[in-house]
Amino acid sequence: MELLTSYTFLIVAIGTTLLSFASGIIGTVSVIKGQSLIGDAIGHATFPGIILAFMIVGVTDTLSLTIGAVIFGVIAFFFIQAITSHSKITLDGALALILSSFFGLGMALKSFVQGNPSFHNTQGIDDYIFGQAAYMLRLDVYLILIASVISLLLFIIFYHQIRIYTFDPIYSSTVGINPSLINFLVLSMTILLIAVGLKAVGAILIVNLLIAPGVIGLMWSNRFNIVTLIAGLAGAAAAFTGTYISTAFAGFPTGPSIILVLSAFVLISMLFGRKGLVTRQIMKVRGESS
Amino acid sequence: MTEDIIKVKDLIVAYDEKPAIWHLNMTLQKNSITAIVGPNGAGKSTLIKSIMQLIKPVSGEIQINGSKSKKALKDVAYVPQKGEVNWEFPTTVLDVVLMGRYVHKGWIKRPNKNDHKIAMSALREMKMEAFRNRQISELSGGQRQRVFLARAICQDADIYIMDEPLQGIDITTEKLIIKTIKSLQQEGKTFLVVHHNLDTVKEYFDHVIIMNKTIFAGGKISEVWTEENIDKAYNEVSAVR
Repeated sequence: MELLTSYTFLIVAIGTTLLSFASGIIGTVSVIKGQSLIGDAIGHATFPGIILAFMIVGVTDTLSLTIGAVIFGVIAFFFIQAITSHSKITLDGALALILSSFFGLGMALKSFVQGNPSFHNTQGIDDYIFGQAAYMLRLDVYLILIASVISLLLFIIFYHQIRIYTFDPIYSSTVGINPSLINFLVLSMTILLIAVGLKAVGAILIVNLLIAPGVIGLMWSNRFNIVTLIAGLAGAAAAFTGTYISTAFAGFPTGPSIILVLSAFVLISMLFGRKGLVTRQIMKVRGESS
Repeated sequence: MTEDIIKVKDLIVAYDEKPAIWHLNMTLQKNSITAIVGPNGAGKSTLIKSIMQLIKPVSGEIQINGSKSKKALKDVAYVPQKGEVNWEFPTTVLDVVLMGRYVHKGWIKRPNKNDHKIAMSALREMKMEAFRNRQISELSGGQRQRVFLARAICQDADIYIMDEPLQGIDITTEKLIIKTIKSLQQEGKTFLVVHHNLDTVKEYFDHVIIMNKTIFAGGKISEVWTEENIDKAYNEVSAVR
């Protein structure tokens, strides 16, 4: 119980919970559109941005590294767009190419920096690969807060447009919604949340915060507003529980703990959710016997 | 007194430099129910997508109600082909129909009681009232088409443009859709419908456009729906190829 009021725990828990709530809601759009892996590719692609930002400023300063991550997220997205629209390579091929090449670049730069005596205090950059929530500072939480509030506000303001566009992009454009604008908006929110969340969960695992909550939401409801709400709450609950577990049992890293809790939620939802396997089976048996 | 509500002048549309529509001129007469017919690949969908400004033409001019601006599309309701939407999207039938009210609400305003009333009456017209809380993925092809038409009715536009609404649906739905179109015509609405069944053209429509990359004939059924015109569009090697 003492733990729940400790400063470190509170900082980390507030940060991860907020981040997962916002990511869960925004990520649901990608899940429904069948574009989950865009978040994964962008997540990995931010890594070289982190290292380059570090090389420029010389210290692991949160704000600079986040800006580096955003820039590389955007660059990666434009590469993906360019590849899919100007070649015969399909989206999944483009995503795999960008994910591996950008992450490879990041790893190469990391080795260079860590083996180079002119750079000091390089150990902190490892945290951005797998995440190191325990080292989160107040500033990290502020950045998460700003990114989450901006994303959620944009989501609320453009709620109808996002909903109509996700369901029926062609129709949306015939009623005066600009599909490229909405697409751009959703991606910007995604990139922003990835960038501020890297320190907490890392470039490799961040995609899970965007995808798993949406999958959970879809198992429980047929309505977009409820699905997104459940996604946000599931993300937040998993983040809080995961952070608690990792703080209570030393040696459990926070990011992976959160993701394990989320995965457990996914499994439960896929089996017992309103649209889950077991539930549907029960409904079927009941339907046959009556 | 006849009036042209849509005018297309010298339209050229191409995909990857292959022409899909070639020097096409057409008019849509106000308050008509007009079919667009033509063989596969004739550019029927391309034509209506150009009118809806979903495709950018190479050249040519399209006027809706005398205006070329995107705002003129406010008076047009578009009914897409079934394959164009995300069927796994979590939404109920009523919510989809309510989307039709978006043009009247704009930006942030949420649908109110009156919008719900309009949506419910559109659903009633399409005999889909009982399905209002169903997830759309649980519907049959015919029921999906009814929902789309209800959404278009809800939009309360002057012109309805429909891409093969009768493709792959049951006969009951087909009759219901045609009945609804005819009753909306009584209220002054205009219809432009891509249609593939040549046998029902005479029964369902009062005007027809026969096309194959360009218009071969267009006008009242009684004047242009002749064996000769149909043969020309379907059999003659198009001038473009």
